[in-house]
Amino acid sequence: MAVKDEGAAWSIFGYLLSGLLFWGGAGWLMDHWLKTHFFLLGGLVLGAGAAIYLVWLRFGRE
Amino acid sequence: MRSLHLLRMEGAGFVPPSTNDFNLPPVFSNNPYTTKPVLLVFLSVIVVSIFFIMASRKAAIVPSRLQFAGEKIYEFVRNDVARDNIGHEFMRFVPYLFTLFTFVLTNNIFGIVPLLQFPAMSHVSFPYVLAIFTFIVFHYVGIRKQGIGKYLKDIMFMPGVPKAAYILLTPLELATFFIVRPLTLSLRLFANMFAGHLLLLVFILGGDHLLKGVIGLKLISPFAFAFGIGLTFFEFMVQCLQAYIFTLLTALYIAGALADEH
Repeated sequence: MAVKDEGAAWSIFGYLLSGLLFWGGAGWLMDHWLKTHFFLLGGLVLGAGAAIYLVWLRFGRE
Repeated sequence: MRSLHLLRMEGAGFVPPSTNDFNLPPVFSNNPYTTKPVLLVFLSVIVVSIFFIMASRKAAIVPSRLQFAGEKIYEFVRNDVARDNIGHEFMRFVPYLFTLFTFVLTNNIFGIVPLLQFPAMSHVSFPYVLAIFTFIVFHYVGIRKQGIGKYLKDIMFMPGVPKAAYILLTPLELATFFIVRPLTLSLRLFANMFAGHLLLLVFILGGDHLLKGVIGLKLISPFAFAFGIGLTFFEFMVQCLQAYIFTLLTALYIAGALADEH
């Protein structure tokens, strides 16, 4: 069981990281093109939210 | 006052360890590929091969000490890593997992073996290659087992989610499976080995430099060495743990690719 938990911990970390990187990155690109400043922040929040949702879907539903 | 001045002079002479300490010159100057990490990787292959050939050559019901050690390592990978995570198809993956574990473990431990004292995995290209192997293995296994369409569909579309949420979630699933997983797998191993080696360098080189200083600094030097020795034991733990985690995550990724729904 401990082994499974360790695997789950690392995949949760992976989801959070990809959430921040993908949607944060998308927001950063929007800022870069549109010369604005709020898309990066919005993207990071959105990415973190989506990642937590995904973690809940995968590990919290049973 | 004078000793303070000397202290400052001493400080100026000390070159703190940096990333330059990881770029070692070729051992044979006419061949740029014969650097220490490359030679250590070859040595590790030889060491692992010889160890397990010796351990399994005279296999007996009542095992010798060497055979016992070899069997324990094999049983650990086979039972605790492969069987407990992958399930009934685990035997197919034991050779890969076992090779991976012993190879990474040996190379990591080279970081604290006297005279060798360099973990090859602190050069990021070695973990990259290992992670690419794992990447190919677990995607290939998943595609073979489920067909490419179903495999990708399972990754991209989690069941029981409102359709609109897929806009948010699908890119994350793809990024996790195809970029973040291999990247974190390799960087975790690399960063642990790199940081560990640097930490040992700081304390051992620092202790050595203090020993060459004025009497006050000489008295501090043993503490630096003591810390260095303590951290060497700590490093041994980290090295074993990282080899285990690399193998374990590979097994979990394979298990995820084999499972019909994850």
